[in-house]
Amino acid sequence: MNENLLWVEKYRPHKIDDVVGNEEAKAALLYWLKSKRRTKKAVLLYGPPGVGKTTLINAAANEFGFTVIEMNASDTRSEKAINAVAGPATSFVALDTFSTKSKGNVLFLDEVDGIAGNEDRGGVGAIIKIVENARIPVIMAANDPDIDKLRPLKKVCALIRFQPVRIPLIISMLQKICQKESVKAEFEALEKIAQNSRGDVRSAINDLQSLAEATKTLTLDDTVTLSLRNKDINLDETLRKYFSVKSLAEASKLLSWSSVDYDELLMSVGDNLPLRYTDPQALAEAYDFLSQADMFRGRIGTENWHLLKYFFNCLVLAAAVSPDTYQPFKLISPPIRIITLFWTKGKRTMLEGICGKIGVRCHVSRATAKQDFVPFLKMLLADQKSSDLISWLELQPEEVDFLMNMKKP
Amino acid sequence: MAAPEDAVMWVEKYRPKTLDEVVDLKDIVESLKSFMKNPKIMPHLLLAGIPGTGKTTIALCIARELFGQNWKTFTLELNASDERGIDTVRDRVKDFSRYSRSAFGNVPFALIILDECDQMTGPAQTALRRIMETSSRTSRFILICNQSGKIIEPIQSRCAMFRFSKLDKKAMVDHLCWIAKKENVKLSPEAAESIVEYAEGDLRHAINALQTAAAYKDGVVDEKVVAAVVGEASPMQVQILLRKALYGDFVDARKKMYELIGEFGFSGSEIVRQMQRELFKMSDLKAEQKADLSNIIGEYDYRLTQGANSDIQLSALLAQFAKVGKAQAQGETS
Repeated sequence: MNENLLWVEKYRPHKIDDVVGNEEAKAALLYWLKSKRRTKKAVLLYGPPGVGKTTLINAAANEFGFTVIEMNASDTRSEKAINAVAGPATSFVALDTFSTKSKGNVLFLDEVDGIAGNEDRGGVGAIIKIVENARIPVIMAANDPDIDKLRPLKKVCALIRFQPVRIPLIISMLQKICQKESVKAEFEALEKIAQNSRGDVRSAINDLQSLAEATKTLTLDDTVTLSLRNKDINLDETLRKYFSVKSLAEASKLLSWSSVDYDELLMSVGDNLPLRYTDPQALAEAYDFLSQADMFRGRIGTENWHLLKYFFNCLVLAAAVSPDTYQPFKLISPPIRIITLFWTKGKRTMLEGICGKIGVRCHVSRATAKQDFVPFLKMLLADQKSSDLISWLELQPEEVDFLMNMKKP
Repeated sequence: MAAPEDAVMWVEKYRPKTLDEVVDLKDIVESLKSFMKNPKIMPHLLLAGIPGTGKTTIALCIARELFGQNWKTFTLELNASDERGIDTVRDRVKDFSRYSRSAFGNVPFALIILDECDQMTGPAQTALRRIMETSSRTSRFILICNQSGKIIEPIQSRCAMFRFSKLDKKAMVDHLCWIAKKENVKLSPEAAESIVEYAEGDLRHAINALQTAAAYKDGVVDEKVVAAVVGEASPMQVQILLRKALYGDFVDARKKMYELIGEFGFSGSEIVRQMQRELFKMSDLKAEQKADLSNIIGEYDYRLTQGANSDIQLSALLAQFAKVGKAQAQGETS
């Protein structure tokens, strides 16, 4: 078995019964799939991410012998694009139908709430048209069905609601994975992961993998970082995939699909590169690509987004310096920079304040004060007769203390 | 509150008050003096040169010569690297030209000294050029920078430019001895020379070192004291950073880098500049090695100006150093 596989992929259920939670929704979808005379031609599954919408459809297709024609709506969203991909699939009978295995096609439009913005005008209309003209069942999935622009869809779809998966179900699922991966895990740690996921099975499994894969053990202490990165799950997932890519093509596909903030991605890749590449040669090479990516990021600024492809290209090159050396490791996130700046803010503010005072007195900038005055001042203050210096610079006692005790820059 | 006249830092206490007192800048002083005789013809000025060579001092002297005792009322001092953006600069210039009396005796303008202009971005400089134009009836600008090349052409063409080069060593030694005499410090000629050697033409640095050395051992400054003070004041953390990187210890070097960014608030370019300076002080490296490493620093110094995240460029620089360090270590053992 491929060891570098993401656990969410490795343990994705292939049978309907194995999909955890959301029993009502499962039953409703099965009923809709089985019924000969459907009142509505399409069905819209909606609910928070990671609760098993896509998984359920693939599992159902597997059991019923459907061929799923999948389209990710956030990828190709305009009317033209939707018609180009989905049009033929819905109005012609696919060759597959004649094979004994396949019992017909199902069109699956994932992330239909990704249809947004001006460029996609007509996207929803196109989907409705497809549903109306379709000769095969259409299944759609969305994270948030209450968005205004999806409202027209509700008229032509049966709605099936998915809810966050209950915590005990997630815990037992994690336990099963731990058993198969021979991870020794404390129950409390698994409980923490499950609670933290808020019913999102995918993120729970991803968290488990990132915390336990490298060490094969998991304690409650390991999970303290979880609350910090609650919002970075998307980033984590992207990073994990990014570092385990085996080819340039794979990496570029991943990046073009990911929706993480580019600067955050850059910084996080920068933090994790030393863990990914242990050989100095490879590390230097990867950082060089990353540095070039950063230069493109600089040139993009806020408007030259046409340069984004070059940015991605460099980022991709950094991921694929030596694909065969990949070993799973514990990701660093959130970015070290953000954490460092947070913890050291007090010290920095104090130093800036002092340098401002020096600047006023000695006609220099804070930066110059920091470099050219602070080291000498620190020594002068150690002198007994420095009180007139302190009063001339109008330093507060706590500022004097700070200067005396601070590390030499 | 102590008045600036009773300045305690010697750099301030002995900062020349008139153009005549200025050390070793005869040519510049002579041409400026003609403006002082007839202020009406004084253009905007651009003073460019390495730190500690008297640019700010000259600007302040001009202010004093033009406005006498009341110079502070008619002078706005701004530091571009301290202000948050061109908008603050514009607001402060606007406010200043509105409220200050823009005429004093035969001086038909107020003076705006803008230090470290080369820290401003291109767009900010374009905006500055506009500000200079709109307020030119009431104000004269003295722009100060380290590298005139970083100042956009339109601004350069609007200013009379004066270049400041490294100060003459002899003049610096004399000046240090003069201060020492005034302060009753016993400064040996050798010690004075070693301070000057260390300061590399930066008089401010030299005077700070002298004052610290004088406090170090009760007013007796010899070569030993200078060496101790200079060693103590040199950028320790950057040295450690360099060492770690060159030992191939990339992860630790990167930790150090974040310490410098976090605790001391150094910017990427400040760290790179210090690395460059410290590199050449490392006695255990061969000249060719230094040159190669310096090339790498230069490349990433440039990339810093192009990039968006200085951490990335610094990390990449350290990774290059670690690679070189590792390769050299292997070359020596095999």
